[in-house]
Amino acid sequence: MSEGEPLRPGRFRWRRWNAVLHRDAGYLVAGLTVVYAVSGIAVNHVEDWNPSYRFERVEERFEPFAPTDRAEMAARLVRILKLPGPPMDAFRARPHEIELFYDGWSVKADVLAGTAVVERPRERPLLFDANFLHLNHAKGAWTAVADAYAATLIFLSCSGLLMLRGRKGLGGRGKWLVAAGLAVPAAFVAVRYFS
Amino acid sequence: MSVAFNRFAPSAFFLALLAFSGFSAPLSAADTTYGEGVQGTEVVLVSELLTHPDAWVGKTVRVEGLITDVCKKRGCWIAIAGDREFETLRFKVKDGVIVFPVDVKGHRAVVEGVFARFEISEEDAIAKAKHHAEETGEPFDPSTIKGPQVVYQIEGIGAVVK
Repeated sequence: MSEGEPLRPGRFRWRRWNAVLHRDAGYLVAGLTVVYAVSGIAVNHVEDWNPSYRFERVEERFEPFAPTDRAEMAARLVRILKLPGPPMDAFRARPHEIELFYDGWSVKADVLAGTAVVERPRERPLLFDANFLHLNHAKGAWTAVADAYAATLIFLSCSGLLMLRGRKGLGGRGKWLVAAGLAVPAAFVAVRYFS
Repeated sequence: MSVAFNRFAPSAFFLALLAFSGFSAPLSAADTTYGEGVQGTEVVLVSELLTHPDAWVGKTVRVEGLITDVCKKRGCWIAIAGDREFETLRFKVKDGVIVFPVDVKGHRAVVEGVFARFEISEEDAIAKAKHHAEETGEPFDPSTIKGPQVVYQIEGIGAVVK
């Protein structure tokens, strides 16, 4: 029976509709699935890197000077390093170390050593936005969209299970593959409870 | 008509589902709330907590100050500068409970949580300091850490960043 044929009256061919909805839902969420999967791999390795930002650090040198008070040191560094105006705020971890905070970036200086590091976080192209969506940093309306996407994935999973009949369907080899797919996460959960 | 319905109904169904899920919610205000926000009104100075720490251990405290540092990987802690120079206090949450963006550095925050005391071995203290040095890109000399360390921090409940 092909998809182009109209339904015959008197019998609801649920398997045909299952296949059609599965196909169209698959097309709709294909792109977002790739976004979520790539972001998922990135944030899986958060122990090794920041998945959304890279930190650009530029070292500068200047003529060292004796530490005074925070405000005076900040003003002097703004002049010496030709910074774009006074900082939002400043902090000293030690008398000779001062950090000047600007909007989204900072300058950390050691006035005795005459060194300063300008640190600027840069959003990783594409990955920042993928994580922004995947981790629901958008909040608000995106939460509802993400929930609808998740519901669509659940539908895709269930409709996929019911797609085929016979030896290649859920009643045949399908049940073994489903069991194998659940066995690995189940094992990790079991280790958590029993170790 | 039934042919057209058969052809377009599934796509229309899912498009409608996604479209109706997209009604917008209010945008965030200038102050950003993290976790459970702050509920109390009385502010405790960082200098008071660090001068008489044992009097405050186990108590819920509210602290205000400049954010001088933030965890660069998971955004799971921020350092709040005290009223006295050269002092900071860490506000720490469990990974994923609150994720502070890296650009909160330099902003002022009001935070609330339980003031906690930890004793860590010399080995753990060196590992922790080494990890922090790697995060900040600063040099680290393990010989500067001698013996077990006592660390005080706020176990975070909520924060508002201005």
